[in-house]
Amino acid sequence: MEYQEVIKEFNRLFIDVLDNEEIVLKEETTANDIEEWDSLTHIHLIVEIEKFFKIKFTAAEIEGFANVGAMCKFVASKTEA
Amino acid sequence: MSILEKIVTQIEGIDVRHGIKMRTNIESIDPAMREKGEQFLEKYLKFCKEHNKTLDYGVESYIWMINMMMYEQVQLVSTGEYSCKSFADANERVYNNPEVMEKYMHGLMLSQFLWKHHCDVFDFFLTSIASFKGKNVKSYLEIGGGHGLFLSEAIDILGSTVKYDCLDISNTSLEIAKGFIDSNNVNYIHSNIFDYKPEVKYDLITMGEVIEHVEDPVSLINSLIGLLNPDGQAFITTPTNAGTLDHIYLFRNKQEILDVIDRAGFEVVSDFDVYSEDVTFEKAEKYKVPMMYAALIKPKK
Repeated sequence: MEYQEVIKEFNRLFIDVLDNEEIVLKEETTANDIEEWDSLTHIHLIVEIEKFFKIKFTAAEIEGFANVGAMCKFVASKTEA
Repeated sequence: MSILEKIVTQIEGIDVRHGIKMRTNIESIDPAMREKGEQFLEKYLKFCKEHNKTLDYGVESYIWMINMMMYEQVQLVSTGEYSCKSFADANERVYNNPEVMEKYMHGLMLSQFLWKHHCDVFDFFLTSIASFKGKNVKSYLEIGGGHGLFLSEAIDILGSTVKYDCLDISNTSLEIAKGFIDSNNVNYIHSNIFDYKPEVKYDLITMGEVIEHVEDPVSLINSLIGLLNPDGQAFITTPTNAGTLDHIYLFRNKQEILDVIDRAGFEVVSDFDVYSEDVTFEKAEKYKVPMMYAALIKPKK
């Protein structure tokens, strides 16, 4: 899947999980930019991302991404056709 | 700078977000509990020195533990089950794996006074044990002594005339407990609870965070009846929805714990519960936030 498509789906999942319609993800977005994104909701974001993209993160990957862009690039690489 | 603050500063250096959360936690702990935390951590640093470890190792172990727990929590939310399916599985992953066991114990030791819900449960434990003061407690058994803090405090409260036994399935855990308990009045026993057939009966048994580590918690709690004196009581704690390497039995809510206590032939004397996150009940339910439950229980007549 292309990066732009991945970040678009991420945006939809973030809105659903965090219950905030105003979220607009950018490459440089981090948890510091979104009030509802904490360690608790992060777990549910990971679960929904894994489910939607049919991938699995390792323990190190779950907490290891610097920002949304890094997560999306990783997912894009895992879902290449 | 206090040892707790030093630990939080080191955590912030590795994981800023978690570090900030821990700083908020320790700032909300009351001064008396913080003082207990400092005393415990002084013993911890001494313990590290004796075992050629540094505080850096402790903080690295703590970070390893919270990342592992985050991973296991993802598995729990995703599948609705703990990933560890049997005691044999837990044995292989943790208890018979000294490197993992050691990291895990260091992580848990640091979490004791960093996590507010751990402090709250510890406070309930102190109040519960204090209620036995002057009530002629002669024998006390701790099952799963962990880092020894709870037994150490019980000895301070109940005094040295009580006979104390500390039983654990892990030698690593027993060795850690020995290093933390300043008393020659404790008998350390390396055994599985189901194989333990003592000659004495106990007036008080504590079993903190053990029943979620077995396949059949009803049998485990029920086995305490044979270990207690007729008027004896037990103090137990267990979490709901807490993914980690060696949790086997999943309690989805407090009612499921109460049902197990009831089926094991016990009734609740007093209890306490607290979520691991400072959230509303609705949010806790929605996001399956772990709850820590603690209770004093006695056999049903």
